Amino acid sequence: MNRDSTLSRRTVLSAFRIMSKKYDAIVVGGGHNGLICAAYLAKAGKKVLVLEMRHVLGGAAVSEELYPGFTFSVFSYVVSLLRPHIIRELNLTRHGLEIIPLECSFLPLPDGDSLCRWADPELTRREIMRFSSRDADMYPEFGLALKKIAYFVKRIVDNPAPDPTSSNPIELLKMLRLAKSFRSVGDDLVYLHTKLLTMSAVDFLDMWFESDVLKAPMSVSGIIGTFLGVRSPGTAYVLLHHYMGEIDGAFRAWGFSKGGTGQVSLAAAAAAREHGAEIRTEAPVVQFLIRRGTCKGVVLDGGEEILAGHVFSSLDPQRTFVGLIENGQLDPDFVSRIKRYKLRGSSGKVNLALDRFPDFSCRPGDGPHVRGDIAIAPSIEYLERAYDEAKYGEFSQRPYLNVVIPSLVDPSLAPPGKHVMSIFVQYAPYYVNGGPSSWPEKREAFGDAVVDTLAEYCPGLKDAVLYRQVLTPWDMEQQIGLGEGNIFQGELSLEQLLFQRPTAGWARYRTPIKHLWLCGSGAHPGGGVMGAPGELAAKTFLGTLGG
Amino acid sequence: MNHREKTDYDVIIIGAGHNGLTAGAVLAKKGRKVLLLEQCSQVGGLAAREEFHSGYTAPGVLHDTSGVRHGLIQALDLRLHGLKVNPDPPSIYAPQRKGKGLLLHHDPERAAAEIGLFSTKDAEGYKEFRAFVNRVRPVVNGVLDNTPPQLFDSGGGVGWQTLRRAWSVRRLGKRDMAELLRIVPMCAADWLNEWFETDLLKALLAGPSVYGTFMGPRSPGSALNLLIWECRKGPLVVGGAGALVDALQRAAKAYGADIRTNAQVDAITTEGGRATGVSINGGELLESKFVIATCDPKQTLLDLLPSGAINETLEHRMGTFRARGTTAKVNVALDKRIQLAGRPGEPVEMVRTGESLDELEQAFDPVKYGRYHERPSLDIYIPAITDSACAPEGHSVLSVLVHFVPYHLKGRWNYRERESLGAAVVATLSAFAPGIEDSIESLEVLTAMELESRYGITEGQIFHGEHALDQLLIRPTPECARYGTPVEGLYMCGSGSHPGGGLTCAPGALGARAVLTNS
Repeated sequence: MNRDSTLSRRTVLSAFRIMSKKYDAIVVGGGHNGLICAAYLAKAGKKVLVLEMRHVLGGAAVSEELYPGFTFSVFSYVVSLLRPHIIRELNLTRHGLEIIPLECSFLPLPDGDSLCRWADPELTRREIMRFSSRDADMYPEFGLALKKIAYFVKRIVDNPAPDPTSSNPIELLKMLRLAKSFRSVGDDLVYLHTKLLTMSAVDFLDMWFESDVLKAPMSVSGIIGTFLGVRSPGTAYVLLHHYMGEIDGAFRAWGFSKGGTGQVSLAAAAAAREHGAEIRTEAPVVQFLIRRGTCKGVVLDGGEEILAGHVFSSLDPQRTFVGLIENGQLDPDFVSRIKRYKLRGSSGKVNLALDRFPDFSCRPGDGPHVRGDIAIAPSIEYLERAYDEAKYGEFSQRPYLNVVIPSLVDPSLAPPGKHVMSIFVQYAPYYVNGGPSSWPEKREAFGDAVVDTLAEYCPGLKDAVLYRQVLTPWDMEQQIGLGEGNIFQGELSLEQLLFQRPTAGWARYRTPIKHLWLCGSGAHPGGGVMGAPGELAAKTFLGTLGG
Repeated sequence: MNHREKTDYDVIIIGAGHNGLTAGAVLAKKGRKVLLLEQCSQVGGLAAREEFHSGYTAPGVLHDTSGVRHGLIQALDLRLHGLKVNPDPPSIYAPQRKGKGLLLHHDPERAAAEIGLFSTKDAEGYKEFRAFVNRVRPVVNGVLDNTPPQLFDSGGGVGWQTLRRAWSVRRLGKRDMAELLRIVPMCAADWLNEWFETDLLKALLAGPSVYGTFMGPRSPGSALNLLIWECRKGPLVVGGAGALVDALQRAAKAYGADIRTNAQVDAITTEGGRATGVSINGGELLESKFVIATCDPKQTLLDLLPSGAINETLEHRMGTFRARGTTAKVNVALDKRIQLAGRPGEPVEMVRTGESLDELEQAFDPVKYGRYHERPSLDIYIPAITDSACAPEGHSVLSVLVHFVPYHLKGRWNYRERESLGAAVVATLSAFAPGIEDSIESLEVLTAMELESRYGITEGQIFHGEHALDQLLIRPTPECARYGTPVEGLYMCGSGSHPGGGLTCAPGALGARAVLTNS
């Protein structure tokens, strides 16, 4: 009896200790956006707690040793969009972030030919010449035009989205100012903007180029992470989204994070910790604590309640508002708007541990051409057919692949002479025929289709495979909580961008629940290893946004 | 060398299609001296009737008259010139291979009753859908019935008209405004899936979102086409497109416009950067103060103008303006009335095939690869109901727009390919009108190739340029978006101008207004 009462007193005491340990902010989700958000908050002197459900930090930007001696960037595999000022402001380089630029975009073709686009413009020109001299001349012009647009769009991406539906006069003035600055970029850019925002990637590229061999690999940036084809209107914008990748201010430069993409998250975590943030792993949040319309904290799996002044959710909007908030706390109209927010993941991932480097038959050897990204996108028709299959609920038998072999430039990832290969695959629709939960039965067949497709270009591939991991959109949802396996936490379609991300009136990181904030890719400006939603959410909260 | 005819025309209009006739009538009514030039032997262009088989007359290639602007009918007093409209917009029928199909009455209550046979939820949803369309209609029509605002004024600020237009959108209220902005870039499939669960209903409604375009219902931007169609849908003209052409022609002539048929314009003449007239039929020169082109903008700017008349930028923009023909026209002469298995004896004027959004999407897919689907998507108009003169007593005519049939067919269009397209259409028809193949007297197949050569439209694109979001927002290019062109005195107001193709007559009317403002 005595023992019992001691126990219960201890329980009460510990419960009291937990209850009273109030944080200024809890960040739910330890992905790169959550951690960047936490780092900014902690840097501003806030007492911050990050809660991650998995045993490792990083969310979709994570490195894991899946097979002894081999480190994989399991999900996200290149760093292209990470905002450079975030790297500076959070000192991520000092915290271990190092980015190795990609040297080449390599396109093997089925007829034994190939196209490489290099960092060096002259080399690229010579490559394109073989297919079209006109395109070779246009190529730098295209880059220049997109760069101009990107400089303008950067202002939109680096700031909260202006809201035309707002009735606040300050907001309207901001819109007018934006419109005026739009004007200052010149008529031609206004025209290009309209085109870019609404056209298909192929139609947009048709305005510049004639060669299918060039247009096909260029158009794919328009479909990554989106359930659309290269001929679907709206994909041109996503093309720009990927064009904005900048490393140390250099546009259109993609890179590997040394040690895997997880290093981005770990560097952000280190920055957050340095400023005093606490980070707990294996702490899945099952509910937000809401009292009279205000978020007071979170409930963990197991019942532990943690209180905080504010809660930042880096989870996707559906999980945030439908999964973790009790029925009845939100306006039903808002809930139905969130429910129709489109996630529907469309891509998968295959990770391979390789015993040796597998030669591409069109250009053998492990030279610079394979040290960047390798695209299996031989023609526009090939890509469009891959989409057509997926539209009706099947994974593409001959999918678009984006392959990287990061161990070629970062030997720390695999034992000497051996390699890790990461294959991004589209299309693998979340809503596959038979329902999302039928994915486990289809997983290996999907993996086979991917490896078979690649083996056509890379005949030694199958014999070199030591280990294979196949991730379907369903797996991404199960493993890291990405809703419907959408890598961007919501399609980057025009009606889900800017002031409408995730829904009109709520694109400023605030939510209808007081003190509950959004800071993940489902918020403006969207997905990719960009860090902007996390940064902008923190700065909005802190009131430290410039302009 | 050339015979130069001194004329005292204020305006020469190239093309006497529905937009050309409209512009001509509007300008003539305002006292301008107008000459209309038509390359064919009759006026009307894509709206002209055509006797395709002895005793059988097909309505125009464009056969849906439900979009004709009501304000224009009044402004031109077209009723005085013989135009009659059915007070009610048409009912549209979606047949099924097995089943009664769905007859979508114009009256929302009756429509809801039919829909209720499929889904009670959709019956309610349909009323709400119609209510939403009714709320946003004034705003959408406000955009369609007016010259596009100048985005920026000359001082570099935001134009006053732009602000006014923006304000009209804001007056909708926050919720509808947000909804309108959300829908515009969406695809029709997503939007309709939010509203309805019945496949047949969704497919029926989705038709106009993709007709005449290079898009399927899953292509973003198609929702705007649907919204526009729903907003401007009004009563049908009695007697169809042909009757509309008749009335327009009578009005134009009554107001004093001259019309010359068999007048092929070879070039637009310019002098010092100004349009001075046109040259026709291999040498005859006609002069005028203004030239209005209602042919498609690619032809106007790239073919008819002397080289160097427009700068490289505009040339490039016009060159990349998308006008890929994807529509074929099939006219069917029947020796009796069409018998719809699902609706025996009921009068049906419009039929759209495709039983689900997926079927419509599948009909679109092959066009991307230069093929067409063996069961193409059909948009059928049955003129017998209001136009008994179109066929001998007891006989009838079907006017069928066949979507998605590419201009650039893999291989090439030839007699055999046209035959098999005709067969695919008949097979699709017979699925819901069994035995129809036995009552066919004659079948005319016009692919985009024939539409191009017969009507002089680039690639036979029936809207003079695809209805895609970018080409609707800025139509056809920024410098020509308000009907004027960089060539002084040259205007464009065919379907390639705002607000686009179809039998609305709006581009013609707005283009004429632009000329009046500037003269």
